[in-house]
Amino acid sequence: MSQALPTKEPLPAKEVSPTARFWAEFRESKVAVGALVVVVLMLGVAIFAPLVAPQNPYDLANLVLMDARRPPGFIGSAGYTHILGTDAQGRDLFSAILYGLRISLQMGLIAGSLAFTVGVTLGVGAAYLGGRWEAFIMRVVDLQLAFPAILLALVLSALLGQGKTQLIAALAAAQYAYFARTAHGAASAERSKDYVEAVLSTPLPAWRVVLKHIFPNCLPPLIVVATVQVASAIALEATLSFLGVGLPVTEPSLGMLISNGFQYMLSGRYWISIYPGIALIVLIVAINLVGDRIRDQVNPRLKR
Amino acid sequence: MSAEALPLLQVTDLATWFHARAGVVKAVDGVSFSLKRGEVMGLVGESGSGKSITGFSIIGLLDLPGRIERGSIKLEGRELVGLPPGELRAIRGKAISMVFQDPMMTLNPMLTIGDQIGLALEAHESVSGAEKRRRSIAALAQVRIPEPDIKIDFYPHQFSGGMRQRVAIAIALLHRPRLIICDEPTTALDVSIQAEILAEMKELVAELGTALIWISHDLATVASIADHVCVMRYGKIVEAGPVLQVLTRPQHPYTQGLLDSLPSRAKPGAMLARGAGTDAAPPPRLPRQAESGRRSADLPYVVIENVAKRFQRKSGVLRLLAQKAGLAGPLPLVQAVDAVSLSIARGEALGLVGESGSGKSTLGRMVAGIYAPDSGHVLLDGERVMSEGEAPHKITTRIQTIFQDPFASLNPRMRIGDSISEGPLAHGLVGRAEAVTYVAQWLAAVGLDPAFAGRYPHQFSGGQRQRVAIARALAMQPDVVVCDEPVASLDVSIQAQIINLLIRLRQELGLTLLFISHDLSVVRHLCDRVAIMHRGRIVESGPAGEVYDNPRDDYTKRLLAAVPVLPVA
Amino acid sequence: MLGHILGRLGQALLVMLVMSALVFVGVYAIGNPIDVLIGPDVSQDIRLDTIARYGLDQPLYVQYFTFLGRILQGDFGRSFVFGMPVLDLILSRLPATLELTLAAVCGAALIGIPAGIYAGYRPDGLAAKAIMTISILGFSVPTFWIGLVLIIAFAVELQWLPAGGRGETFAVFGVEWSFLTANGLSHLLLPAANLAFFKLALMTRLARAGTREAMLSDTVKFARAAGLSEWTVLRRHVLRLIAIPLVTVFGLEFASTLAFAVVTETIFSWPGIGKLIIDSITSLDRPVMVAYLMLVSFVFIMINFLVDLAYVGLDPRLRRAGSR
Repeated sequence: MSQALPTKEPLPAKEVSPTARFWAEFRESKVAVGALVVVVLMLGVAIFAPLVAPQNPYDLANLVLMDARRPPGFIGSAGYTHILGTDAQGRDLFSAILYGLRISLQMGLIAGSLAFTVGVTLGVGAAYLGGRWEAFIMRVVDLQLAFPAILLALVLSALLGQGKTQLIAALAAAQYAYFARTAHGAASAERSKDYVEAVLSTPLPAWRVVLKHIFPNCLPPLIVVATVQVASAIALEATLSFLGVGLPVTEPSLGMLISNGFQYMLSGRYWISIYPGIALIVLIVAINLVGDRIRDQVNPRLKR
Repeated sequence: MSAEALPLLQVTDLATWFHARAGVVKAVDGVSFSLKRGEVMGLVGESGSGKSITGFSIIGLLDLPGRIERGSIKLEGRELVGLPPGELRAIRGKAISMVFQDPMMTLNPMLTIGDQIGLALEAHESVSGAEKRRRSIAALAQVRIPEPDIKIDFYPHQFSGGMRQRVAIAIALLHRPRLIICDEPTTALDVSIQAEILAEMKELVAELGTALIWISHDLATVASIADHVCVMRYGKIVEAGPVLQVLTRPQHPYTQGLLDSLPSRAKPGAMLARGAGTDAAPPPRLPRQAESGRRSADLPYVVIENVAKRFQRKSGVLRLLAQKAGLAGPLPLVQAVDAVSLSIARGEALGLVGESGSGKSTLGRMVAGIYAPDSGHVLLDGERVMSEGEAPHKITTRIQTIFQDPFASLNPRMRIGDSISEGPLAHGLVGRAEAVTYVAQWLAAVGLDPAFAGRYPHQFSGGQRQRVAIARALAMQPDVVVCDEPVASLDVSIQAQIINLLIRLRQELGLTLLFISHDLSVVRHLCDRVAIMHRGRIVESGPAGEVYDNPRDDYTKRLLAAVPVLPVA
Repeated sequence: MLGHILGRLGQALLVMLVMSALVFVGVYAIGNPIDVLIGPDVSQDIRLDTIARYGLDQPLYVQYFTFLGRILQGDFGRSFVFGMPVLDLILSRLPATLELTLAAVCGAALIGIPAGIYAGYRPDGLAAKAIMTISILGFSVPTFWIGLVLIIAFAVELQWLPAGGRGETFAVFGVEWSFLTANGLSHLLLPAANLAFFKLALMTRLARAGTREAMLSDTVKFARAAGLSEWTVLRRHVLRLIAIPLVTVFGLEFASTLAFAVVTETIFSWPGIGKLIIDSITSLDRPVMVAYLMLVSFVFIMINFLVDLAYVGLDPRLRRAGSR
């Protein structure tokens, strides 16, 4: 039984691609559009941090110890206002946050892309190949999914040692399984659909079936997972850095800024830790809001 | 006026609109009818006619953003429109109840049948545990469920579709309502089950004196159960009257058109009246097929030889180990197709008929080269359809397929033009330069505007998509087309158009068809020969007229007897 | 049915075996434990002697089987840092973590599930929107940062609750529990809330999504058509329909909360195994790492096993498949 709305048989007036339709639907949610704007803005200031920031916070020549731990609004010896205050080394916190954002985003995006590539290849591959390979790959993935990502990342980063590459590897290893599971589910569903069977019976070569037919139709749920995973990679990196097993001190991400400020928190110098935290949260919340909207859009069971 | 003289249900000028963001959809727009005690009324229409929404409006279960805009619904003189939710709830299940289309979805898979009947009982009465059980068992017995005292502790998944629908009917009849609304209650069921439910329902409502509104797209089922019928279109009732009168002497052109669209009322092979249309001729065929096809004209063209297919549930690693060690047996096999042999002559249309689970689709997919048979093989013109070896794949392009669900059979992310030209381009049937013209010719040939080549599937209706799917299959210039229920999910008027298109293209292109369907009348209309499939085997085959008029197999006889027939003038 | 349970148990054992091999290879084979065991300035003789004593001159698989044999006897070795048997060390810290984790997960479920069902039942209401806003925050904000904010707000500024430690404990059967004393409870509150926040958001979102879908289903519509009250529909139908994903997440989240306790325990100086593992990672205390990983794997596998059993209890379709 369906209480579907009655439709007449209108002829398509103009070409509307699925992507355009998706975007039009996305725009119906003001919150989601706002969140997307925030994500793009933060990405922009992170990329152009050297141009936007009043100071290069890691050029030691710029640091004046006298300016250390000053509250927001303090006008430092360089003559400009530290709108978010300064940290223990006398860094302009606003600049440090912009550079931290740059590192955090970099880690999240690189680890996310790596996890995406590995996971989707495995998941779609398993769904297409079927049989023993499918069973084996998905068994490993399921096994790994039972273990929390943070534990895996923690152990891996402890084993591999500190460093950007090591951390990216640890994050990607902890997250690829989510992509693999989702890609496998979506690809299995698509593979049994009539249009795939139709191209199989044409017949078309396997690579073409996978790349042109199955993969593009698996994208919507994968985009949802990608938003969640990039957000959680950023959070995970911050957590690991906070625990002191993430990035080395030479790569101060937002998590490390928060961690560095932690000890000053109890003495009332809240800004050193709180402002990087707010930047981190705004970023993650915005990414998750975008992902949430897309999740609602791609859920067929909520469609009327 | 005394209560006896009042009609049971009086619907006056009912309008139910959906206020969607894109605008107002007037799903039901000014519907009036009345129903006497114990009367059975059919509500007929194509999808989107507003027949279901009328039913949901009466029982007060509209989905948002639907709203009753105006009009009145009176049950024994009591106005239901505008009643507070609590009072409406007290009426639902007690005075008016409802049965839905898909019995697989209506029952809660997590609760026993007894629990679900008990909950419905408690909704309107307070009963003790023992009393509840006793009455639940009685309710199951009433709808002819065998061993009701055992079955009451079953879960829905242990029941077949027909049994589940009986449970739903038992729940609907629990409080002896004065009106029961059935929304396409047999559409999801096989024809033999449909016949049983129809007969039982007819008896039950007569026994209990319950009035019935039978909502359906199928004129024949309505004819076999209803006293009166209302025909709906675009939210309005276009014609109403006694069933016999409406179906034999329709007054409204729409009703006339609906009846004319039915293949069961037309001469086999003839164009159906409602589906007339002028379409362009398909592009000329390439010469290569003409040569290869001239082998031995008298030998069978398509040969299906001892083809079998089983499906097996996957065993886990440990289960495999246990099996190796002899501790566990293999999981049960599902024999989908069991050593089937058939042949189709050149230019012939073979109808493959069966109910759900008979294996007809699996067989079709093996002929089409989508599944490899476990044993046996399919030959076209003496050549194998599939390659041999470990992982067989299809090697011929001379067999193409048309599927049932027009919403799933086209890649949603591909322009329809690209969907049509992809195969021919990959196999060198056309060059890149001519592809656009080629697609345009095919679109014209299936009755679509060639200018739509750049559009995406979601912009088309079901019938239009089915035309695109036909164009895609035929653009590969096949000799044989496997049609898997190509008209099953279409409204009758659209179905008639697609049937006409298939008849015409088959003649013009000299196609050989394997036409798979559960619908006996469509098969009779389109096919020269017919094969009846039951539990993975062919139980009977022969020329269509012979099998239909003189069935020899018991199953075939039962199947043919179960089909509801329209009254003829 | 029994076969099903035995099958799952066998799988669990297999997984444990795989885990032990992974942990062994990961922790023992990467890097050289000998450098941790002895200083760089000891003589070659002592070095060789130590290598022989720890069996490090044996082939890897022999070492692995020795390792496996010792574990089966409950011998996880001695902590390099604490100098005591690792098993005793971990078992002494485990109750604190279990207490914290249980408090967090149960709290999250008790608040999150009703809130989520409500938000799914009336998705367009104001309360539902508020619930969803809070949940998206909980879902996004890193646990460690919430911990910091909680400390600032409730311990530093308001001074309502202590910022760290376990407080007074009360022993039951020789195991110390904080929640049995008022002081201990006040120490438990902040870390538990911190740990619960993410789970709360997750449970809420899951319950909401499930309820929303269930409310649109034919099952619910049919129940309404039979005249069932909204309360009965929610309690008897919807709750049963969404139970399986909720139980899954409850189980999996219990496991992941155990891991996330690492963060909370660090911030609130909660003396559990999470704090222990972070310390052992920074001090390269390998036996502790190995034992921790094996223990956590064991707990995860047991929880997965229990969740599987719960499925069979909850879903009649599986019960039948199991009995075949």
